[in-house]
Amino acid sequence: MSSGVVETVLFYVIAAMSLIFALITVTARRLLRSAVALMFVLVLSAGFYVMLAAEFLAGVQVLVYVGGIVVVIVFVIMLTSSVDLLEERPALGRKVLGGLAALGFFISTALVFLTNVFPTATGRAQTVDSARAIGTALLDYGPRGYVVPFEIISLLLLAALVGGIAVARKSPPPGQPLTSGGDLPGEVAFIPPRRQNDPPEGGKNHE
Amino acid sequence: MNNPFAGIGFAPSLVHWLLFTAAIFAIGLYGILTRRSAVGVLMAVELLLNSSALSFVIFNRFCSPAMVDGQVMAIFIIAVAAAEVIVGMAVFVALYRAGRSIDVSRLDHLKNDEVKP
Repeated sequence: MSSGVVETVLFYVIAAMSLIFALITVTARRLLRSAVALMFVLVLSAGFYVMLAAEFLAGVQVLVYVGGIVVVIVFVIMLTSSVDLLEERPALGRKVLGGLAALGFFISTALVFLTNVFPTATGRAQTVDSARAIGTALLDYGPRGYVVPFEIISLLLLAALVGGIAVARKSPPPGQPLTSGGDLPGEVAFIPPRRQNDPPEGGKNHE
Repeated sequence: MNNPFAGIGFAPSLVHWLLFTAAIFAIGLYGILTRRSAVGVLMAVELLLNSSALSFVIFNRFCSPAMVDGQVMAIFIIAVAAAEVIVGMAVFVALYRAGRSIDVSRLDHLKNDEVKP
């Protein structure tokens, strides 16, 4: 029973901290502070994954979200020089409308959760080895497998990578075509063809 | 009608977990609707994605603990979130280069203000 008590206390502590950090994320006027709060929310979610017996997912969460996404967000905050910038406070009407929408969503969702009876499995069944089971599920091409979405996700990531580079790369100077950033070896060596009337290079006019 | 709160104690059951994720989702929704900076909006979207992935894992744990389908869906959500952040951040950097501002209330270049007859 003591483990149950520990789990209960841990749940409420992590949930309260997550809610506080999430509120800081959406209300902090300094964007960098907001990003740090978001990082804490994501780390606490990794803790929740461990509590839910999804250890592999906790590792993925820390690697991808905390190690990748938050770092990218911090980079962009610095690249757009929003570090010292204090965000303008939202207008009161916007705050009220946003709060009403969020509250309405929460109440309607909570009513659904409280009035429905979900088919929970009776008793705590023995949990599977999550990393091994996820690996076999991702590469299984049977009826319960996920190999097609897995491949589509890899294509999506590649497309996002190429698109991100194409959108964010430095735009060429005016007058040059979009494909020529001047940084390709073939483009550096490009010399416009000489016209017929031009004097020969370095040559004197001989009689 | 039954009392919806009947039989809900303090120990974290499925409903407790789901109420928590709904609260995080509602906070993210508030952030999307009130943020001025585009990066702030994107961080609020990250909150939404995170809470929905957590919901998948919660249902997986409580409804079919012998399977990992919910965890696989959570992995897909994380991958899509990564792709979304890459593209979004590239767009923000390009927008900042073009206009020195990523305030979403000023990004209305696509709106045709003067309607020509």
